[in-house]
Amino acid sequence: MAGLAHQRGYDVVVLGGGVNGAGVARDCAMRGLSVLLLEKRDLACGASGASSGMIHGGIRYMTSDRNVTALASRDAGYIRHIAPHLTFRIPFLLPFASQAEGSRLLDRVTWYATEVYVGTYDLFQPLKGGKPSVRLSADELYRVEPGLRPGLHGAVTLDEWGIDGQRLCLLNALSAADHGADVRTWTEATSLVREQGRVVAVRFRDAVTGEHGEARAGVVVNATGGWSPQFGRSNGFQVPMRPGKGVHLSLDRRHGNYGIICTAVDGRQMFLMPHEMESIIGTTDDDFFGDPDDLDATADEVAYLVDGAASLVPSVREARITRAWWGVRTTLFEYGVEEDDLSRDHRIYDHAGEGSAGLLSFVGGKLASYRAQSEELTDRVAALLGKATLPCRTHEVPLPGGDEVPSPRELAARHGIAEPVAARIVFRHGSLAREVLRLVDEDPRLKLVLCRDEGILAAEVAWIARHERVRRLQDLRRRCRLALGGCGGLDCARPAAQIVARELDWDADRLRAELSDLLEAGWRERRAVLDGWQLAEEELLRAVHRGLGGL
Amino acid sequence: MAPAPRIECDVLVVGGGMAGATAALAAREAGARVVMARKSPGSTGLSGGAVSVAQDPACMPDAPFAARSGVVESARRIAATRPGHPYGLLRDRLDRLWNAVEFATGQLSSVLAPPTGRNRWLLTPFGHAHPAAACQRTMAAGDLAEVRGTLVVCGFEGHLGWDPGLVASGAVRVEPLGGPRPRAVLLDLFRWEEGAVGTPFDLARLLEAPGAAEEAGKILKRILARGDAAAVLPPVLGIDPAARVPERMSAEAGIPVAEFLSDLPSVPGLRMHRAIEARLAAAGVEVLGGEVRSGAGPDLPAAVGGREVVARSWVLASGRFVGGGIERRGELRESVLGLPVQASEGPFADPSIRFAARAAATLTQADSRAPQALLAAGLRVDGELHPLDAEGRVVHPRVFAAGAVVGGHDPASDGTGMGVAIFTGWLAGRAAAGRGA
Repeated sequence: MAGLAHQRGYDVVVLGGGVNGAGVARDCAMRGLSVLLLEKRDLACGASGASSGMIHGGIRYMTSDRNVTALASRDAGYIRHIAPHLTFRIPFLLPFASQAEGSRLLDRVTWYATEVYVGTYDLFQPLKGGKPSVRLSADELYRVEPGLRPGLHGAVTLDEWGIDGQRLCLLNALSAADHGADVRTWTEATSLVREQGRVVAVRFRDAVTGEHGEARAGVVVNATGGWSPQFGRSNGFQVPMRPGKGVHLSLDRRHGNYGIICTAVDGRQMFLMPHEMESIIGTTDDDFFGDPDDLDATADEVAYLVDGAASLVPSVREARITRAWWGVRTTLFEYGVEEDDLSRDHRIYDHAGEGSAGLLSFVGGKLASYRAQSEELTDRVAALLGKATLPCRTHEVPLPGGDEVPSPRELAARHGIAEPVAARIVFRHGSLAREVLRLVDEDPRLKLVLCRDEGILAAEVAWIARHERVRRLQDLRRRCRLALGGCGGLDCARPAAQIVARELDWDADRLRAELSDLLEAGWRERRAVLDGWQLAEEELLRAVHRGLGGL
Repeated sequence: MAPAPRIECDVLVVGGGMAGATAALAAREAGARVVMARKSPGSTGLSGGAVSVAQDPACMPDAPFAARSGVVESARRIAATRPGHPYGLLRDRLDRLWNAVEFATGQLSSVLAPPTGRNRWLLTPFGHAHPAAACQRTMAAGDLAEVRGTLVVCGFEGHLGWDPGLVASGAVRVEPLGGPRPRAVLLDLFRWEEGAVGTPFDLARLLEAPGAAEEAGKILKRILARGDAAAVLPPVLGIDPAARVPERMSAEAGIPVAEFLSDLPSVPGLRMHRAIEARLAAAGVEVLGGEVRSGAGPDLPAAVGGREVVARSWVLASGRFVGGGIERRGELRESVLGLPVQASEGPFADPSIRFAARAAATLTQADSRAPQALLAAGLRVDGELHPLDAEGRVVHPRVFAAGAVVGGHDPASDGTGMGVAIFTGWLAGRAAAGRGA
């Protein structure tokens, strides 16, 4: 076809840079297939980046989807093996009301049942390296978490693992690229090309350069998540799915050291948990029929989450909420079922029956199981291609930086930086933290700390711009949480933009446009939660960026 | 220990930013005994060095020099198009705006250059040309409307804090309109470790040291070329004006040396804060450190930092959200007297709409450039700057409001924040002292 800048053939073209897309791209590439990954925005821009950031087994699903729990628990163990730097333990408390508070026999029966239930969950813990649950008396409970409301009878603990889901996507994509895959972010698949009932190519458009291209494909994997129904409708196939909107709130700091499982006003289970440098309240789950590119958190969703968390931790009402963020999760289609009762299992659809042979769609699943899901998808891709491939090794080959976790203390001493900053860089980069910090030896200017909340060094921004497929400034929101902390970019946005511009050779107009784009994304996440001191922070941000910056 | 005696005074000013300082100094000049209660440096202490009063609303953002109208004329145009803006409320008194600006800049002449009546156009770290009716003395020589020839826009070789190419881009856009030709350079300064990781305050102190500014001037001189008319540098040219950093640099380099405006953290903000403190002390305003909470108002005792103050008149110059004069804990309210918040702009400009309890999402719009009612929320006042209660009545004939605590404008971004602070502060201070405008 004339006029196309890029025209090449691949064994498999993967659509979508979420955890499943990046995961299947990695697996396919590692098995020796030629791969193109297309993502219309940045990696982890959808549900993968807006997940709760847990590779949990989903105790919630144990009674209904026990295979989901087992699969997730086993795969969580593999993720801890291939990306040990990116995971951290989150101990959870599941508190109970006391008899004095009028708990009835039924409550006590429920409590007993829960203990058994959590005990059963323990059977899965060895799979992911978690600790067994412990029953806490009221005394013990208030000693570990004095912020809980009075009148509780005790609690059961359970152990989960937190993860940076956005970097997990990135590392899979980087690994895929290391194994020969072409990874194109900010490149949208515009249409599928069919010949005789087969999908044979994908047309795409690069949103940054505006150039168009076409890639021939043996198999096309549609891993566009919440965008699948829309993409299917425009391209003549159907993806059955119940998309659900999920909203989380971030607090400006860790509100405690334990995750607390609480009950929302409608009886749904939700949580308040410490996660990296902040605490997160989550999550809503509502059927979503709208446009996945046009989401916002509503006042209603914010109040629902705060009320739910405050039912057990009243001080949450006084906490500073820094942002509300959202995503559209994909769940398997069922009619006449409530959102929470939908299965978290996954399914692969083959669209051969719709005149689209060679096209597979992935629906459902969980972050914790992405690797196993990707393995299953890759098996299907190989079968469709009829090609002999290398065996799957994604469970044993570390992701980039996952081969070793260096000591932050040692690195801090060697390079003359603060240890907490070194710890954050090790968390994000694993063994590659050594390479990141080597930059400050060559150029002491890169020792400048850009963000004290997240421990972002100028060197890290330069490293990310060079090595982590940054095409837009806002990509750094997902690489190192740039401008996501309490300051909302007041300290870090401009200097970070200047460093990225220097690395990527942006002129001043491009730099200003990218800065505007980054700041606008932050505003959209903050505007529903502006209260207390966060509102004062917003006034400063506005004064600097709009007033002084003219952005 | 005996309790400190009760202080009786004519005027209690709550808040020590530009509005409070102007009010206190104006009342003092009118002969009143003035006490100022302020808890901490407010947003004025975080400001970037510009005193922005008004920009012609008809002037295109990319063609600033197209507006040759004066500052007061620009304020009149704002008043005509935005009746809820403080300039709109005070439109019949705008003939006194310039008196207020001259008064405030005169009082703070240790840091502020004399205003000319029209806007200066100053570069910002973001590559933007920003209008200012007045600015710090360290900045006046960087006025894009005045510099002829080449403007040397400097960054530092050893510090990543400022990108001279980005800063200069603000001048590139106005060059075809008569502005100077910008040239971005890196000065070989701070190329050692403590410089590289220094905060703006660290760098400012380093330049204050004996010989340091002279050395910087020599480094600048080395890269100068024919036609270079002035140089602008990052806003770290000393904290203390008495250290004369720009003057010392200029003497060595042989051309005028100025700072461009500052974002945060702000050395010029600290400089301004110190100048205000010094001026208040010199003028005999008694400054008490502490918060005024649930104060009862004129003639009744108010507790401030362990002291009891009884004042005949009150001026609320307590700021917006950064200052703490307006707060939102689920609902918007004024923090000192608990007055209702009922003035804003955009979709909530209509004074009959009660919005203080509405959700943050309702009071904001998805496009951050659109008017944001939440950020423009504050007290509703009458033309005498008396705050109004929920029924629209004057709360007290001797309570006045000045500055960002007054609603209907967005002091953070609409380019009138300092002007409103000065004008309303001046009017309120004089009225509280018993002198009309």
